[in-house]
Amino acid sequence: MTTTSSHAQTEAAKTEQIITEFFAKSLHIIIESRALSASSRNFSTLSSPSSTSSSSSSSVRPRDKWFNLALRECPTALENTDLWRHSNLQPIVVDVVLVHRNLSFSPKVRSFVKERNPFEEFGGGSEQNEKIVERWVIQYESKKIKDCSSSNTANTTRRSSNTFLQNLYKKSTLLLRSLYATVRLLPAFKIFKELSSSANVSAFSLAHRVSTFFEPFTTKQEAEMLKFVFTPVDTNSGKLCLSVMYRPCVSDVSSEPTTPLSPQVITDYVGSPLTDRLMRFPSLPVVRMPSHGSSPSSLPFSRRHSWSYENCRASPPAVNYYSPSPTHSESHTLVSNASSQGYCPPSSLPPHPSEMSLLHKKNVNFDEYYPSPNFSPSPSPSSSSPIYSLGSLASKTLLRSESAPVNIPNAEVTYSPGHTSRQNLPPSTPIRISRCTSETERSRNLMQSCTTPEKMFSIGKESQKYSGGKIAPNSSPQISFSRSSSRSYQDEFDDTDFTCPFDVDDDDTTDPGSSLIFKEIESINLFSTANHAHQTQLLKFTTK
Amino acid sequence: MNCEVCHLKELELEHFEIREILRCILHTIIFHRALGLVRPKDVDLELFDVTYVQCGEVEVENKIEEKIEQFICWVEKHPNKKSQICLSFYEVKNKQASWFSNRIERLYWEQWYINLNVAQHLKSHSSKSHHSKFVDPGDGTLEDRNARSAALEVSLREVLFQIIKFVNEKKDHVPPIPNLEGAISFPYEITIPR
Repeated sequence: MTTTSSHAQTEAAKTEQIITEFFAKSLHIIIESRALSASSRNFSTLSSPSSTSSSSSSSVRPRDKWFNLALRECPTALENTDLWRHSNLQPIVVDVVLVHRNLSFSPKVRSFVKERNPFEEFGGGSEQNEKIVERWVIQYESKKIKDCSSSNTANTTRRSSNTFLQNLYKKSTLLLRSLYATVRLLPAFKIFKELSSSANVSAFSLAHRVSTFFEPFTTKQEAEMLKFVFTPVDTNSGKLCLSVMYRPCVSDVSSEPTTPLSPQVITDYVGSPLTDRLMRFPSLPVVRMPSHGSSPSSLPFSRRHSWSYENCRASPPAVNYYSPSPTHSESHTLVSNASSQGYCPPSSLPPHPSEMSLLHKKNVNFDEYYPSPNFSPSPSPSSSSPIYSLGSLASKTLLRSESAPVNIPNAEVTYSPGHTSRQNLPPSTPIRISRCTSETERSRNLMQSCTTPEKMFSIGKESQKYSGGKIAPNSSPQISFSRSSSRSYQDEFDDTDFTCPFDVDDDDTTDPGSSLIFKEIESINLFSTANHAHQTQLLKFTTK
Repeated sequence: MNCEVCHLKELELEHFEIREILRCILHTIIFHRALGLVRPKDVDLELFDVTYVQCGEVEVENKIEEKIEQFICWVEKHPNKKSQICLSFYEVKNKQASWFSNRIERLYWEQWYINLNVAQHLKSHSSKSHHSKFVDPGDGTLEDRNARSAALEVSLREVLFQIIKFVNEKKDHVPPIPNLEGAISFPYEITIPR
């Protein structure tokens, strides 16, 4: 029975590892196709022509081997990994937000406004609308205790355990394949493509935020969205679920007039010999965000308002000076384009009652769906206020291997150095928001929820692997996170000898028809130091 | 092991659209069945605003191109006929030497049927619309062609989602992932009509 129970424990540990990696991979797939900071869309463009073969092991990073899906580097996605999740029971929610900025200001107005309000970095005082166009939910639903009978543990044999794990891994791999294809078929991908390829300054932008919770949509918002649910993958203790709610018709950003990046010559600048010395710049009122209880210095997401875009345009503008785009008539074009040019899903998707009515919907409401976030540090670890921040945050509790499923001979004992000192840190529920428009804005809002320097220190040791930023121990929350240096830590990742029992072993010459993904590892010290953490997590599974 | 069969929705297309449509569908299916290590390759269709995924294997690409060419030859010989292309995945059974045959037996576990209805217009691949007006009045105006093209794009998306749904809903019949090099885990064959 001892052997049986040890098989069960090993199976549970490996199951959890698969689930953890599944979360990370899913997040990577979603964000790399939505984050405009990603450099290139195609993996093949990043690799040399000689290494296009998938079997080339020299260019394969360890984490690529998980689910046999090698994705291009996406530092944004890797920042949002399970550093701040406590367990696999916490879902990951990714909201993809379409940001529409009013580019009606000429460059000289923008610079003038900047001088007067240097802290209004985002948009330079321009109006902005945001709309959630997609919501991805990745979660692991655990079964109730009574469903996970103890007989499962008692009857676990080595063979059945292997079979179960192989099956789980296979189904997870299939699910991730279909996720990869699906993200490219949804309407938001079209926006991502257009914004990625356009050299002009667009009125639109794509942002995303990742959190462990979400505020449910209103009935009206739900009516405007469609839902696609991937078939869950069952495990012994629960099931892996993945779903997306998305807007079927999204504004065609390419039809919007854009501001070219070419420099413009300002001839009538103050001090120009062509102008009167005493000429004043046209008087402009102080540019404010629509006042709905928020301060001018607060972020756009802090605003709670329910005005529609159309209503906003009709109201007296805050700034008198406009450059001729976009005008009110063009805003109508925007709205009509949303319904006529936007992609509408095929009928094979789960039907939605108001699906067809959306095609003729003229009003596009850029409503704010989130309440004003609390920017003060959370008073308690259990607070669920969304906190907008970037960079590595506290509480890495999930044991996650940053390497591939690699076969370990019985005598070998290797594991990633960064995982030896993993601790169960006090919980917190941070939310990350990635904006692809303003680096200054990001750095200003970093780490606002970080509670203790102790956490920072422990993160600092490990997050060097995840963030690449220079995080000093015992530093204050005001830490700037440099995304550009993230590549260096990924190289550290790839060089780890961290091993995992799941392997695609090239040396094995097995019959193609046999199933030899997993080989029983009897003496994996891989889990020896992390066993404590595993058992803690397992206890969470079994006691709920 | 049972053989799961998926009949994809029929697509009505013109001759010049065959290559892109078939590439899109075949590569999408194979990507979902290439469970070895893949570096996905996004491909944007030229005809439509659709992005599909290839598994990145050159051999797969070559094989698909070869089959598409064969299919186009068949279409030209059999105009205005509905056609079906079958993409099958199989396992190789143990070689059984017998009195009668020494063949390797294949055990099919999944078959995909791609149904196409190619409208063979006499000047369908010509860019001169006035020719099509004179030669085939049924070809319609440019507006009709645009409408057909838009309908084909919608149908293509439906087919792609149909593939995704099928892959999601049916997983038990897929054999365990073998320990092989390369992206392709399971042998497959593409059968075109004769």
